[in-house]
Amino acid sequence: MKNHFQYILVLAVLLSQLGAVFAQTPSDDLMMKKREICLAASYETGSWNQYWEGTRLRENANIGTFSREIIMPMFAYGITDKINLLAGVPYIATDATGGQLVGAKGLQDLGIAVKAELFNRQVGPGKVSFLTTAGFSFPVSNYLSDYMPFSIGLKTREVTLRGILQYRFDNGIYARGAFAHLWRGQSKVERDYYYNNGSYYSEWMDVPNALNYHGAVGVWLFNNSLKLEANYMAVHCLSGDDIRIYNAPQPTNKMSFDQVGFFGQYYFKGIKAIQGLGILAYYSKVIDGRNMGKFQSVGAGVTYQFKL
Amino acid sequence: MKNKWIRLIFAFGLVYAFSCEKELLTRADYADYTFASLDEKGGSWKPILLSGGNQISIPTPKDVSSDDYKNELAALKTAMANLTNDQKKAIEYWTNNPVLRWNEIALELAAKYNIIPQPNADGTYTLPDPANPSKYPQFPFAHPAYTSRALAYLSVAQFDGLVSAWHYKYTYNRKAPSDVDNSIIPAYAKTSLPAYPADGAVVAAASRDILTAMFPLEKEYLAAKATEHMSSLTWAGVNVKSDIDAGSTIGVEVAKVALARARTDGMSKAQTPKPISDSIKTAAFKRYGWQWDNMESPVRPVGLAPLFGKVKMWNVPNVEVVRPGPPPAPGSAEFNTAAKELQDIAKKITPEQRKIANWWSDGLGTYTPPGHWNRYVKDLLIEYKFNPLRSARTFAYLNMAVMDAGVSCWDTKYYYHYPRPIQAIPGFKTILGTPNFPAYTSGHSTFSAAASEVVAYVFPNEAQKARAWADEAAESRILGGIHYRFDAEVGITQGKNVAQYSLNRAKQDGAE
Repeated sequence: MKNHFQYILVLAVLLSQLGAVFAQTPSDDLMMKKREICLAASYETGSWNQYWEGTRLRENANIGTFSREIIMPMFAYGITDKINLLAGVPYIATDATGGQLVGAKGLQDLGIAVKAELFNRQVGPGKVSFLTTAGFSFPVSNYLSDYMPFSIGLKTREVTLRGILQYRFDNGIYARGAFAHLWRGQSKVERDYYYNNGSYYSEWMDVPNALNYHGAVGVWLFNNSLKLEANYMAVHCLSGDDIRIYNAPQPTNKMSFDQVGFFGQYYFKGIKAIQGLGILAYYSKVIDGRNMGKFQSVGAGVTYQFKL
Repeated sequence: MKNKWIRLIFAFGLVYAFSCEKELLTRADYADYTFASLDEKGGSWKPILLSGGNQISIPTPKDVSSDDYKNELAALKTAMANLTNDQKKAIEYWTNNPVLRWNEIALELAAKYNIIPQPNADGTYTLPDPANPSKYPQFPFAHPAYTSRALAYLSVAQFDGLVSAWHYKYTYNRKAPSDVDNSIIPAYAKTSLPAYPADGAVVAAASRDILTAMFPLEKEYLAAKATEHMSSLTWAGVNVKSDIDAGSTIGVEVAKVALARARTDGMSKAQTPKPISDSIKTAAFKRYGWQWDNMESPVRPVGLAPLFGKVKMWNVPNVEVVRPGPPPAPGSAEFNTAAKELQDIAKKITPEQRKIANWWSDGLGTYTPPGHWNRYVKDLLIEYKFNPLRSARTFAYLNMAVMDAGVSCWDTKYYYHYPRPIQAIPGFKTILGTPNFPAYTSGHSTFSAAASEVVAYVFPNEAQKARAWADEAAESRILGGIHYRFDAEVGITQGKNVAQYSLNRAKQDGAE
């Protein structure tokens, strides 16, 4: 199995403090061989014109349609056949069609993760595999988290521990589930008083921890060159306050969402001149949420993989 | 092998992520302290609304040798011997300077209610209705003008009530329980301040009643706070029941006097209907040829509190005497210079500039600029170990000056009705939200200059720092793209002028 951009998408979840908003397949069973390197870049554009204020879906003409673009360079490396190292950092730009507030842009957080395959065995007509990922991320620019919804991230450190279980039939059809716990730290803001169901006299805001669920069914076709997948992904914060009516969100909010999506990728296996090259495309749509925009996103990327 | 890797990275990550977790304070971190002075002559200071410390009458206290007093003292000792953990926490919370806590409660309510009404589905807006406060949008919308007024009435009532308390304390000189019975160890720093009437009870009752009028939906919350506060005076061993009852009487009576003024100060007419708002706009346009327009979607038909400028001032004889001259006309050379400065800043704002803009923003959902200055002053009162009376005096002059600054600023805003940068500069975008009222002069600048002058008067050693803060608060609005430099500069001068009226009064109240 020589396709590695999934690492990237795993990574995107680890990195994105909004919780994998822009990762279509946040977790899978794929591992790179020892001393293999994968370089990748993706571009995503997403927008919403409604958001959940608490659990109430609403519009706001002073935002109009909110948009976000993400450029994501990524890197993966096979330390051994069973242990991979992943890293990446997104550049994000936000804007809105309504109101007079200016958008934000900049590098967000650098994420580093280690992924290990703990189990991989033939069981019946297919293989069962179990993997785990441990990662952490930290902000790499002086962006402001307390400028929502335009903030490019939550500007806090995050630690993730994820378990991934997959069953893949020998005919290429597979089903996969993943579960992760996201531990977030505090976000430093540019004021020393804020209201979070009461007064806080601090420059720091607690960013709620979260759980991340993922499920996917898909198939590999044409001798493992093309992969097509339908997926579901959710991030649920474990605590936090709701956006107050017609007020701005802030990093302390309980931000949760459920989304569905499609994902496809293709490897140019037969063409020697572009050996190692792959392309991917995806679409996702948030179907439920809390204190989040109802995003619809599309993305595309290229991957290039080689051995040292 | 691989398990070890995972564990190592994970453990390292957790330590890394949480090694710098800060404890998040939800209130001022102070304990009871020994007062820098007791202000034994405080009962003769001139109050703001009362004629003097003796206007409100309370019963002559029973002597400490009386059976009634002995019974009260026994009840106090029993209570002290059976304290629950919650009661101990209440003692620690309220301290011997509860003026600070009640100010903090007021700021929290301001932040809670500083939420702007949203548009209705048909694009209209509904205003908060004081006659039906729980119906959305809830009453009040605690914007900066509203909050400045709430804080002024709170502080004035506390101050007048405590002048009265001091008057009777030194008239009757009834000892503190621990001076009557030396087996009583009070929870707070021991003082020779006479116990009757309880100053804490004055503050509790007055604060409860003023804040209940200002934030009617918090009636039960405030009543529970006041009850706990008054009870804590006995739990702490500093006041017997009759001390507390007399203090409560003063608090209730002084709040009535303050609220009688509040009912007729013009605030109920500050948020005008659209025809009046339009006529104010038309008058400005006829006078100067420009007008401010709300730029929100959907458009808010009326600006924020157009007639707050007509609300009765505390210490300025009439608002016209402190009204600055007109701003430069849009399109003039002076205007163009100011507009270009904003565009230049917006093009390349530095991290330091952004932080200043945000630091002083104190926008929706926060305690507003008046609240910000109260918070700073609270910290100074603790640092300088002011007693409750002198703390209340400081807050009273601070908040009268700040409210007068707000009234003057709002008068100026709606007299000149000057457009905001987002209206006057095509395509201009900002990092701060533009408020729903005209630009000239800057509210932050006016509030802050007035506040800093009071700080400079009460704490001369802090004068330089306070004035630098005010200048920074003024600058923050330029950096945020929502005010021109002339809004800020003229606002600073205006705030200083307004504050002098309060300071002239303070200098003659007998406290110096």
